[in-house]
Parts: sequence; C-alpha cells; structure tokens
Amino acid sequence: MTEDVKIGVYVCNCGTNIAKTVDCDAVVEAAKALPGVAAARTYKYMCSNPGQEMIVDDIVQLGLDRVVVSACSPRMHEPTFRKALEKAGVNPYFFEMANIREQCSWVHDDAEAATDKAKALTRAAILRVARHDALERRSVDMNPTTLVIGGGIAGMSAALDIADAGAHVHLVEQSDHLGGNVARVDLTAPYLDSARDILTERITRVVEHPRIQVHLQGEVEEVTGFVGNFIARIADRGGNGQGAPLSVDVGSVIVATGYKEFDAHRITHYGYGKLPNVVTSFELEKMLRAGRVETKEGKRPQYVALIHCVGSRSAEFNSYCSRVCCMTALKYAHEVKAAVPGVYVSDIYVDMHAFGKGHEDFYRRSSEVKTLFLMYEKGESPVVRKAAAGDDCEMLIEVDEKLSGETIEIPADLVVLMVGMEARPDSERVAHLVNISRDKDGWFIESHPKLDPVATTTEGIFIAGACQAPKDIPDSVAQARAAAGRILARIARGRLEVDAMFAEVDEDKCSGCRICNDLCPYTAIEFDEEKRKSHIISALCKSCGACVAACPSSAINALHFTDAQIFAEIEGVLL
Amino acid sequence: MAIRANPKLIDELEKYGAQDVSKCYHCGNCSATCPFSKEPYILPRRSMRSLQMGLEDKLLGDLEPWLCYYCGECSEECPRDAEPGETMMSLRRWLTARYDFTGIAGLFYRSWRAEVIAVLIVALLTGIGFLLWGFSQGSISQYDGPNAFLPSSQVHLFDWIMAGVLILLLGTNCARMWWFTVGRDKDVHVSFGAYVRKAYELPYNFLTQARYAQCERKRPWLLHLVLMLSYLTMLILIMFFLGEMAAGPEVDWRVHVFGLLATVGLLTTTILAMRGRLRKTEPLYRYSHETDWMFLILLAVVASTGFLQFVLHRSGLDVAANIAYVVHLMAVVPMLVLEVPFSKWAHLAYRPLAIYFADLKAEAAPAREPAGEAAPVARVA
Repeated sequence: MTEDVKIGVYVCNCGTNIAKTVDCDAVVEAAKALPGVAAARTYKYMCSNPGQEMIVDDIVQLGLDRVVVSACSPRMHEPTFRKALEKAGVNPYFFEMANIREQCSWVHDDAEAATDKAKALTRAAILRVARHDALERRSVDMNPTTLVIGGGIAGMSAALDIADAGAHVHLVEQSDHLGGNVARVDLTAPYLDSARDILTERITRVVEHPRIQVHLQGEVEEVTGFVGNFIARIADRGGNGQGAPLSVDVGSVIVATGYKEFDAHRITHYGYGKLPNVVTSFELEKMLRAGRVETKEGKRPQYVALIHCVGSRSAEFNSYCSRVCCMTALKYAHEVKAAVPGVYVSDIYVDMHAFGKGHEDFYRRSSEVKTLFLMYEKGESPVVRKAAAGDDCEMLIEVDEKLSGETIEIPADLVVLMVGMEARPDSERVAHLVNISRDKDGWFIESHPKLDPVATTTEGIFIAGACQAPKDIPDSVAQARAAAGRILARIARGRLEVDAMFAEVDEDKCSGCRICNDLCPYTAIEFDEEKRKSHIISALCKSCGACVAACPSSAINALHFTDAQIFAEIEGVLL
Repeated sequence: MAIRANPKLIDELEKYGAQDVSKCYHCGNCSATCPFSKEPYILPRRSMRSLQMGLEDKLLGDLEPWLCYYCGECSEECPRDAEPGETMMSLRRWLTARYDFTGIAGLFYRSWRAEVIAVLIVALLTGIGFLLWGFSQGSISQYDGPNAFLPSSQVHLFDWIMAGVLILLLGTNCARMWWFTVGRDKDVHVSFGAYVRKAYELPYNFLTQARYAQCERKRPWLLHLVLMLSYLTMLILIMFFLGEMAAGPEVDWRVHVFGLLATVGLLTTTILAMRGRLRKTEPLYRYSHETDWMFLILLAVVASTGFLQFVLHRSGLDVAANIAYVVHLMAVVPMLVLEVPFSKWAHLAYRPLAIYFADLKAEAAPAREPAGEAAPVARVA
C-alpha cells in the first residue's frame, strides 16, 4: 500500500512568515529522501491560486495520488487544498497538512531547531498520508417538517417564518393557550405598545396557518433520530383527549421553552407573602391589565415603590442580570402614573441598565415624569417594613442611598418587586430530551456565544428566546427568526452533507458490552437488540474518538484516525 | 438613624421656580464645573439630590444655595437639562420663605397675586398717608423751605422708623437662619472667638462680592457689584444726608454727584437685567419668577421717580416735583417694607451671612471626625 504511492510535498514560505525562520529548501530536500515522495517544492504562498494550480498540474502531469502541504493550521486551508485535489480528480482525503507556521516559525527563534521540527512534522504527514483511505462524503435527507417546543413569542415567530416559507411545523405548547410570558404583560418598553396587540397578531396567524399544527397542553416525551430525520413523540396532556401519543417525523427542532420568574418568597426582607401590599412585577401587570392599580384594601396608592434586581445580580441567588427588569420598571413608572394620577413613584435600583435601542431615551423620559430614583449598593438590599399608625403610608422602605450617602426611609403604599428570570424547572428534562447542555444557571448553551448563537452542539437542534438566557421580546424574536432562517437554508438544499469522518463498529468484533453507548457525548450510538451489537449513527457522530478508546474489544474504528495512520504519524515525528 | 424622605417636597419647590429637578441622574458634571464646589460644600449636586428625595430638614440647614451665584455654567453643562442653576435659585427662594417666621415670604413666593396686591395696598396707603399729611401741614406748590409739602426732616424721621422695623424683621430672620444652619447642628461647635475672628468677612463680602468674582463669567458679577454699590450709596445718602439732598435752591454737588452716579448705576443695571430677562439668552436670565420681575420693576420705578423729582424740583416745577416725590415714596415703601424682609432683597443679608457661617462650619468640621480615629494620632504626637 505504501510502496506504490506517489506523494507530492509542498512547503509554503507564507511570504516570510515561515521562510524567515524555517529553511524551506532544506525541508524539501529532506522530504525528497523519503519513500513514495515523487515531487517536493517550495512556493511563496501555497494557498494562492498559482500555488493550488501547481498542485493540480503536478497531479495531472506526474500522476501524484497523495499530497502533503507543509504550511499553516489546517483550520483555515485544509478545505482549500482538498478542493484542489478534488479538482485534479484525486480523493480529497488523500491529503495531509503539516503546520510549520503556528507550530514552528511563529513560536521558535532558533532557525536550525525550527527547521528540524518542520522536517519532522512534514515527515509525519508524509508517512501518514501514505496510509490514508479514500473516504466518501455522504448526505442524508432533510425532512422539512420542523418541531417547535414552546408557544411563546419566540416559538410562534420561528414557526411562522418556517411555515410561511412552505414547510410544516408542529408547535407544542405545554399550557392551554399560546403567548407564553408575554401574554402576562400589559404594555411593552420602551415605546409603551400593547403586548396584547403584538401577541394577538401572532396567535391569530399561528392558529389559522394551514401548515402549523398547534399541540396545546402537549408535551414532547421523546426525540430520537438525527439531524434531518428526527422522530418526536408528542403526548396530549389535555383534560379530555388523553389519546395515544402522536409520533411525528421532523428534520429540525427549535427549543423555545422560555423562563420562569424568580420566587420572591425566597427574599425575606422584602416581606413578600407577609406584607399584603408587596407584590411582584407580574402581579402588577395583572392590575394594569385590569386597569385598576390599588392596594389589597382597595385603596388608591399614594406612594408606589419599585425595587429592582429581585433575585438578580446577587451573590445569594442569581449572579446574572435579568436584562428586562430595568426597562420594565421604567415602564411601570409611566403606567402607574397614568393609572393613578398624582401618585409618587420611587424607583429603587442598583444600576440602570438601559443598553437597548430607545432605552436611554426612555430612561430620560421616565425622569421627566418625576420618578424618584434611589440607588442602592449591590448586596445592601433595602428593607421593607410596616409603617406606624401615624404615618401617611402603608409601608416604609429603608435604603442606604448611594447617590446621597444618606440612609433614608421612603414611604410606600404598594411595593413592586422586579423579579428576575430563571431557567424553568423542567429545563433539565428538556435538555436531556434533545441532548443539549445547560450552563450553571440552567440556561441552554448555544454552539458558539458569538458566531453561532442559535445552534447547539447537537446537529439539528436549535434554541431561541429566553430559554438560552434572559432576553427581551426583540432579542427573543430575533433569535427565533435566526433559527428559522438556519433551518430554512437546510430545507432549501434538500439534503444534508455529513462529514466523511465518523466511527464505525466492526460487528464481528463487538461483544455487545454497551460501554460505548452511554459514553458518547452526542448520543450517536444505539444498541441493536436483535443483533446484540452497538451501532453508530454516522450523521450524529463527530468523530471525537471517545468510543474508540473505550472499546475493550477494539471493535470501533474512527475513519481518518485509524491506528495505522496515527502510528505512522508518530513514527514520522520520531524518525 | 434613617432620614424620612418626602417625595412631595419637589412639588412645593415648583411653586418657588424649581423645574426639571427629577431629570438629574447625578453624573456630577455640574459639580465639576462649579468653582465653589469643594468639600464640605458640594454644589449643586448635593442640593439636587436632597431636593429629589425631599430631605426637607437637611435642606433647611444647608448653606449651599447661598454659596451659589447662578453663573449658569452648571445648567449649560447638564447633559439632562435638569437646570441645577435654577434649582439653587428656587432653593434660595424657599429658604427665604422658611427663614421668615411670619409666613409672608412664603405667601409672596407661592402666589404672585398676593404679592402684587400687598405691594399695591402698601403703595396706596403710603400715597394717601403722605398726601393727607402733606396737605395738612404744607403746600403742594412748595417742595422745600418752611411750607414744604413733604419736609425732609419729617420724611427723614419716617425713614429711620421704617429702617428700625426692617432691621428688626430681617434681624429675626437672620437669627433663624443661624439657628437652622449652625445653631441646632449638634456636630458643629463654633467658639465665640471664631465668630469674632471671622466677623470681618461680613462687611468684606458684602462690599466686594469677592466670591461672586470667582465665577467664570465676570459680567454678572460686575453688574451686580455696580447695582449693589449704587443702592448702598443711595441708602447712605437718604439715611444720613436727606436734608442736603432735598434742600434748595443751591445744589450741593458734594452730595449730588454721588446721587447722580448711583442713579445712573441703578437705572443702567436694572435696564440691563430686564433686557436679559426678556431675551432669555443667558442661563441666569432664562427663567424668571414673578418675584424677580417685582424686584426689578420696583427698583426701576424708585430710581426713575427719584431722579424725576430731582429734575422737576431743580427746574422749579414744585407741584410736579411733589407729585413725583409721592409716587417715589409709593414705590420705596413697599420695596423696603415688603421686598427686603419677605422677598428677593433679603439676600443682601443672607449671602454674606452664609459665607460667614460656611467658613465657621468648615473650620469647626474636624470636630466631626470620629474620636476613635483621631485619638491614637494625638497620643503618638
């Protein structure tokens, strides 16, 4: 196998990036001496068009069947050179790259030693490439039907985009109505638009959409399969129709399960649950929606106090910022004043986070309606207590006020706790269901925090909205529509390309011990009960090698990372 | 011990001209630009904060509003248009009302109608009184001499009685100011010696307006100094040289040269201030409370009628001169009786006093350091 190969070796100067430290000609000379090497050259920039054409020409004229490029990291240009091989009619996996820039010229000063290292790395690549197998890229069907878990603003927005584009959507909502947490809100910040108006449009369109099937009081019990070909089992938890769970075939899944609000009972010094007129922001929303802001005794409040960061940004509860409470509190300053003319609103905050579009102007407008802003130090929370009989208020709030340095008491008839966002208690179950990860606070983890914020580490599973982290409506909708866009791009292509590198089980060697089954971080291994053998779903496999190393029978082989290839590479370095 | 905040105070201050106070978010640009903002007196941010929170008692004991001359730099720099300069102005009005035990000042500031009616009534009573008195003992065609309509010696006596009442009222208010700002403050112990040692500051600041000169804009200080010195000159002339002023037919230039200079000073500065308040281009003139206009109008009427009666008298038109004199007195009496103890004029006493008190308090402030920290240092020494 290794004797009859014809390898071409190309050492890149990378301008002077490599050549200033590594003697590229010496690397070429060393390579020429190795068995199977039919050509070896240097060039200024191998990745340039002339560089690639040099490889193509050599393959055609000299009949090369393997190529090694000693240049930079394969992360950038491995696909470039593989394409060059394909163009010349050679299997793209008959290619190996040696990184003599990041691993030699950029990190070493000693030219001689760097050159020796470059020779060794090139040698390793040459020995390895001789043992490469021709691999075939495969593709799988992409089922355009999509499962959306969660019928809030994010789930509905994603469902509408996908359905509008022509695909079918199963929208599963746990409760008996659509709308999620937004349905509990009166107006929205910062433009004071009605949340109801925003939602009604979405809900009407979702319900009437011919390609969206809404499963109210539904629960996704199980998701099996792989990208493009999932099978989801949806149970009906409704009162009457306790029918058999519905099994649906879907190509992608969007998780948009939202959040739950912080339980204010957990903070004792605010008196929630004990003092009747200490309420949460959602309880105030209810009053605002009903158009009646009053105390439990049915009186119009003269003083209303808003306390920020309840459960958020604290060492004791959640360290993160819940992002929406500051603007929601400012919204209350406006709404409460409109509902109760002449009311005095105090806004007791830690820092005013007004980072969004229109938010700073909204903050300014809130001070123009004479909101009394009082700043407290993180960790030195205010204390709410009942006022004395002679006071003109129900309660008194003691604040160590930071901007004045004074300890003050502020009167209040109604105290509103701006409760933060928390991951839902069922987030662990959902994460397990679709095989995605959660962070320390229970939020689902995206594939890349900056460049891939809607995908997850499991192919075909996307996240949107406040299940990923606290988010306001615009951000949730943006993420939902981005997820829909990603899925629609795949649907448009019809089939999904799957990497040719994955692990395979040699069924003759497999003892059926199932050690690998639970080990796989991508749940790509299933167990064939009939054959009593493990089987790897290649579309899910990321070729990490965990099963390969763990298999006591050495029955698993990772393509492109075979034992023979790796040993040859080691030998090349040590030679 | 927590201080009780009163969110309603800000509404009350609006009647005194405060506006946009709640827009302030305490960036501190105003304090950075103010030449007088030095510990322990942080101008104007600390007052803004106390007012936003309604710390009424604390504000009553603050000297900061009097240490501000309203150059307007802070309002210019404010990124939120919270008008800190105007807030300090409104606090001065509010403090004037609070120092006054009769409650009249508060009434005037809160209701311009009450002030106008009071001024009109006093003016009318003054006019009727002097007319009746003049007709009862003299001739309208005689300005001076034995049969004078309003003999200067008698008017002089009236002036001194009025001055006595004014000093009593203003003195009481000053005493209350001292109590609120220094006397009742248990943390500050000013020795009698310190009061005596620093007493020179009172006439010094009164006469030179030296602190005002530290503001970046010098024009307002110059105008104010000219106005103040003109007024003071006139006051001295009237209180001590009225006989020489009114007597004729010879013109006593030793007295009159001062009188004419003061008249020019008063009229020029009053007209310039009125023009400023109408144009509203300079920050200190942008907002005008009714009391600001009353102050300027009375001053302008007093100065112009005073000059008019002089001209008429010297022209031999004694009847017209006497009528002008009565009109003059009709403006002078309400200006002094109502404006000095109960309105804007009162600052002539409060400002120098505030500088004096502020200096005394700042000097006494080290006593406020916790004993625990100071003691070991003393022992080592």
